[in-house]
Amino acid sequence: MTAYIIRRLLYTIPIVFGVLLLTFVLFTLIGGDISLEIAGKGATQETIDDIRREYGLNKPLFLAWDSQFINHFKSALTFDFGRSRDRELIIDKIKRGVGPSLALTVPMFFCVVIISVSLALVVAFVRGSVWDTLAVFICVAGMSIPYLSFILFGQYFLAYKWGIFPVFFSPDLTMAQYVALPVLIGIVAGLGGNLRFYRTVMLDEMRSDYVRTAFAKGLNTRRVLFKHVLKNAMIPIITRVVLAIPFLFLGSLLLERFFGIPGLGHMMIEAIGSRDYFVINAMTYISAILFVLFNLITDICYSLVDPRISLE
Amino acid sequence: MKHKEVRLLAIALVVTIFALGGCDSSPSDKDADEMVLRHALFTKLKGLDPGNMRDFYSVTVASQICETLYQYHFLKRPYEIIPLLAKEMPEISDDFLTYTIKIKKGVYFQDDKCFPGGRGRELKAEDFIFAIKRIADIKYLSQNWSMFDGKIVGLDEFREYTKSCEKPEDVDYSRKVEGLTAGDDYTLVIKLKKPWPQLVSTALADIATAPIAKEAVYSYGKDIVSHPVGTGPFMLKEWRRGSYVELVRNPKFRGEPYPSQGGPGDAEAGYLDDAGKIMPFADRVIWTIIEEYQPAWLLFLQGKIDNSPIPKDNYNEAITETRDLTPAMKQRNIRLKKFTDPSTFWLGFNMLDPVLGENKPLRRAISYAIDREKFIEIFFNGRHLVAHGFVAPLMDSYNPNIKEKGYARYDPVKARELLKEAEQIHGGKLPELKMAMPGTNSFNRQLGQFLKRYITAIGLDVEVEYMDWPTYMEKVNSRSVQMFSSGARASIPDAEDFMGMFYSKYWAPGSNRFNYRNPEFDKLYEKIEVMFDSPRRKELYRKMELIALEDCPAAFLNHRVVFALHHDWYKNYKPHAFAYGMSKYRRIDMKKRAEYKELLKKIK
Repeated sequence: MTAYIIRRLLYTIPIVFGVLLLTFVLFTLIGGDISLEIAGKGATQETIDDIRREYGLNKPLFLAWDSQFINHFKSALTFDFGRSRDRELIIDKIKRGVGPSLALTVPMFFCVVIISVSLALVVAFVRGSVWDTLAVFICVAGMSIPYLSFILFGQYFLAYKWGIFPVFFSPDLTMAQYVALPVLIGIVAGLGGNLRFYRTVMLDEMRSDYVRTAFAKGLNTRRVLFKHVLKNAMIPIITRVVLAIPFLFLGSLLLERFFGIPGLGHMMIEAIGSRDYFVINAMTYISAILFVLFNLITDICYSLVDPRISLE
Repeated sequence: MKHKEVRLLAIALVVTIFALGGCDSSPSDKDADEMVLRHALFTKLKGLDPGNMRDFYSVTVASQICETLYQYHFLKRPYEIIPLLAKEMPEISDDFLTYTIKIKKGVYFQDDKCFPGGRGRELKAEDFIFAIKRIADIKYLSQNWSMFDGKIVGLDEFREYTKSCEKPEDVDYSRKVEGLTAGDDYTLVIKLKKPWPQLVSTALADIATAPIAKEAVYSYGKDIVSHPVGTGPFMLKEWRRGSYVELVRNPKFRGEPYPSQGGPGDAEAGYLDDAGKIMPFADRVIWTIIEEYQPAWLLFLQGKIDNSPIPKDNYNEAITETRDLTPAMKQRNIRLKKFTDPSTFWLGFNMLDPVLGENKPLRRAISYAIDREKFIEIFFNGRHLVAHGFVAPLMDSYNPNIKEKGYARYDPVKARELLKEAEQIHGGKLPELKMAMPGTNSFNRQLGQFLKRYITAIGLDVEVEYMDWPTYMEKVNSRSVQMFSSGARASIPDAEDFMGMFYSKYWAPGSNRFNYRNPEFDKLYEKIEVMFDSPRRKELYRKMELIALEDCPAAFLNHRVVFALHHDWYKNYKPHAFAYGMSKYRRIDMKKRAEYKELLKKIK
C-alpha cells in the first residue's frame, strides 16, 4: 500500500503543474491586463506602463528564467502567494476565511449525508409504499426549488418574521448563532438530491440476492439494513462523500453572501469578478492539491470497506 | 426501540439548531449604555490607507479616521469649502502659483503602538508633504497619481526618481521637492507649475491627501491598509475583512463644534439642534458588510441598522405613488430623505469608431430613439431625472434651460429621418452595432434589452455584449467598443469633472472615454482649467456643454435622485453629495431607539 501511495503522490506533480499552467494561461493570456484597473481613473499610458513594470507584467511570459510563468510556478510551490489586489497577504485571507466556511459547510454536509443515508435506507426498505412515493415527491420538489428561494424564504420567515434566528451576521453574535440558520437551510435544500441518490443506491442493493438470502435465513431488518445493505452500498457513498470533502473548503457562495459569513466561497467569486489573479491562483492550487489528496483517500477507503479491492 | 432512537436524534438536531439561532440578541440591547451608529456597507472595503483609495465605501470609512486640510460645510448649500486641519483658507500668490496654508496647532495623531510609548505625536506640515510624496511614489502604486500628474513643481521629478529605486524601502522621502515645502511646523507651501484653481477642492479636500502617520507607514509596511493612524474623531478598533468594521471614538480628538449656521429650513428640520456642541457624539460606529439588499432591508426594518437606501424590490413597500412614505413606514417612524446626486448616466459612442464617429445623424438618431421617461419609470421607479445634458443639476453651472434644446427628446419619427440621412453618409445599409454593458447581472441585462428594443425600433440592428467589469474597462480603455453604457459622478461641486470627459488630451484610458475631439471645446477647456470660479467661467461651462451636445458623443440618459430612509432616532442626517467624515455629526436619540422595540411588538 505504501508503494501505491507514493506512486499516487508522484502522479500529483504533473496534475499540479497542469493546474498551474491552466490558471496562468486563462488569467494572463486570456484574462488580459490588470494594470488599467490598478492605474485608476484618468491615468496616462505612462502611468499604466509604470504599473506593468512594477507588477512584472512587462517580463516575458514563458521563455526566460525570470518569466512570469516561472515566478508564478515558484510562488505556488513555496506557498508564497503574495498579496491580493487589496494588498492583504493571500495566505492570511485564506486562513481567515477557512474557519467560517468550514463552520458552515462541514455540519451542513455531514448532517445531509447522515440524514439522507438513514432516510434512504428506510424508504428503500418500504419501497413502493405511500411513504416511498411521498419521499420521492418531496425529493423532486426539493430539487426543483432554486437554492435562492430556500434562502429568501428562510431568512424572511425564520429570521425576520418569527425572530427565531438572526437575519444576518453581527459582531455581537457567536459563530454558532450566525451559522445556525444557513446550516439549517443548507440541510433542507441539500436533502432532496442526496436522498434521491442514496435511495437509488440502496434500492440497487435491496434487490440483490444476498438481501433475500439474509431475510430467508431469518435475520432481522435492522441487521440486514445496517450490517449488509449499508456496507455493500458504501462504495458509491464513499465516492460521493469523500470527493465532496475538498469542496467544503470552498464554502458556499450564496449562503455566505446572504448571511454575511466571511468565508472562502464568497472570496473566490469576488476574486474572479475583480480579476484578482493572485487569489484565484492560490485557491485553485490549494483546491487541486486537496482534490488529488482526497482522491487518494477515496481509493484507500475502497480497499478498507471492500476486501475484494486491493491497491496495486 | 429503534424508532425511538431515530426520533430522539431528529429532535436533538432540530433543538440544537434552533437553540443556536434562538439567541437572536438585538444589537440595540447592547447599545443601551453607548451611542452606537450602525450602518450597512454594500461592498467590501478594499483598504483604509487614504493615499490609495478611490472607491466610495473605503472613503466613507477612512474619512472618519483620517482628516483633510479642507472639508465641505455640513449644512450650507451650495457646497462651501471650509478649513478642517487647516487654520484658514490658503493664502494664494498673485500669480496663482503659490499656496501658503497655515495648519492648526494641537492636532494629534491617534495613539498607536507605532509611536514611542504608544502616544500619538502632533501633526506637522511635513506630514502633508509625506502624504503627497507617497502618491507620487511609483512603488506605492497609488490610484491617485493622475490628480497630481504635471501639477506641482518637482513632484514629477520625484516620481521619476522613485522609478530608479529597486525596492519600496529604498525610496528616500527626505528628498526635496521644490513645490512642497514646510515654512515651519505649521505652514505648508505648495508651488504649482500652472494655475490650478481646483487644488483645494480636488486635492486638499480629498481623502487622498489626508495625512497618515509616517511612523505607522514604516511600522506596518504593506499592512498599513488595515492600520490607518490619522487625526480623525474615530479610530479603528476592528476590521474583519469582508464582514464588518468597527470604529471607536478617538479619546485624543481635539473636539469640533457642530455647525451653528445652516441653509434655509435647516433649523426647522432640526439640523441646528446640536449647534455649538462638541463633536463627535457617537461612541462607536459599526458598518456591517451586506452585499445583498434583502438582509439589509430586513435589518433596517428590525431597527438593527440606522439608515438604508430603498431596494428596487421594496420600493412599493416604502414609497407611495405620490413619492411619499407608505403608512407602514410612517407607523415605524421612518423618515424619508430625497436628494439629487451629482451624477449622469449615458449610452456613449466611441468617436473613433468608423461607423459611429463619422456619422453625426446616426448618433443623434440613436439619441432620439430612446424614451428616457420610460427608462426612468421602469428602472428607477420614476425617481431619477432625465439628463438633457451632461452637467448634473446639482452643479452651479447647470443650465436651467437645457431641456429646451431638446437633445434628450424621445422622437422616433425624427430618429427614422436621421437614420435615412445616416445611411446616405455611410453609403448603404448600416451594419449591426455592438453595445457593451458593464456587467452580466440582471440590471445590465434588462438595461441592454431595453436600449436594444428602442434602437431596433427605428430600424437599426444592435447586438448587446454583456461583460464583466474588468473586460468592459479593458475594451473601453483600449478604445475598441462601439457603444457603451456608462456614467460618472462628480467628485467636487464643480462641473470641471464633467468637462474633462470631453477634452481630447484625456482620451481613453483617460476620462474621455468617448474619444471625442472638438478643437473649439479643447480651447475652451484649456481656458477654464486655469480660471477661478466666476460668472464668466460658468458661462464658458454652459457654452462647452452645448458644443459637446451638438456633436452628440453620447445619448445622455439620466441623473440619479437618491431616496434614503432612516429611523427617527438617527439625528443630523442631512444628505450631502460629498459626504466625507459624516459620522462625527450623527447622533442617536437613545430613548427613541429603545422605544422602537416596543413599537415593533405592537406592529406585530
